[in-house]
Amino acid sequence: MPYSNMYNLCCKYQGKMVRITGRDGSVHVGEITRVNKDYVWLRPRNLGGYGYGFFGGYGRGSGIPFALGFITGVVLATAFFW
Amino acid sequence: MSRNYLDLLAYFGIGGAHPGGFPLTQLLLQDEIIHPCSSVLDIGCGTGQTAAFLNQKYGCQVTAVDNHPIMLEKARERFKNQESTVQVIEGDAQKLHFKDNSFDFIIAESVITFTTISKTLNELFRLLKKDGRMILIEMTAEEPLSRKVQKKVHTLYGIHEVLSEEEWKMKLQQIGFTHIDMITPSSELIQTEITDMNPSKNLSDEWYDLWDNHHSFIHQSTVPLGFRVFRCGFK
Repeated sequence: MPYSNMYNLCCKYQGKMVRITGRDGSVHVGEITRVNKDYVWLRPRNLGGYGYGFFGGYGRGSGIPFALGFITGVVLATAFFW
Repeated sequence: MSRNYLDLLAYFGIGGAHPGGFPLTQLLLQDEIIHPCSSVLDIGCGTGQTAAFLNQKYGCQVTAVDNHPIMLEKARERFKNQESTVQVIEGDAQKLHFKDNSFDFIIAESVITFTTISKTLNELFRLLKKDGRMILIEMTAEEPLSRKVQKKVHTLYGIHEVLSEEEWKMKLQQIGFTHIDMITPSSELIQTEITDMNPSKNLSDEWYDLWDNHHSFIHQSTVPLGFRVFRCGFK
């Protein structure tokens, strides 16, 4: 996906629970809290315990940043399909 | 026929893309008696999540059929990674190249609605052993649809006809199923978590727009669409 589209998509889903897939195949589920031209911040669903924030020192604020270039896909975390 | 919606599911590679999602699949299968020697057909297998589950859980021979090349590709990829024995076949649910009475168990998860319903039901009836059973999860009209809604369902999903609960039962009876149970966990259009996804690279914006379009359509209060689960057999 072109870079600018990823930015637009992240803006569109700001405040929503999403599922992000990374270039390395990893999957991250959380709420989009911030977006800028280089990064999107994701607040992981399970804070505490194994949450990133707990260990990573990012605290309970915006969550953790992902470089837009690292992301290969963003979709809503829940949906209804026929 | 517009194939856009099914393309959307294929390109995003969403597993469990049917009402109730994969949790409903697991719930429905938990009461079924399936043996390692049972032959099972997953018609409209998509990316193969249910077929893989059946194969893994029961050790049975599963045949997974779909007509979408990208779905098939992703299903094959899944089975290869899992070293499963699922047989993947490209085919049209309305006309399949299997012998009569080939399967002990058939599952169709939101598939028949997308085809010419009578044709597909006749075909599945032909393939099911006379002591076998079939489970369907299918879109159902809760009330008669207005012409406007019918038109939208057609353009958005490529679906020509949405049956009511009574119409489903009647069709299944006419075709020859003597035992039809309706399993109703909940027919509300509840969102389920996407836990299984294999998106294609470089998805363009139009797919996201289509997703939005679908999403806003089903959440209109004036759209009386739901789903039903039927379990059919002969005894």
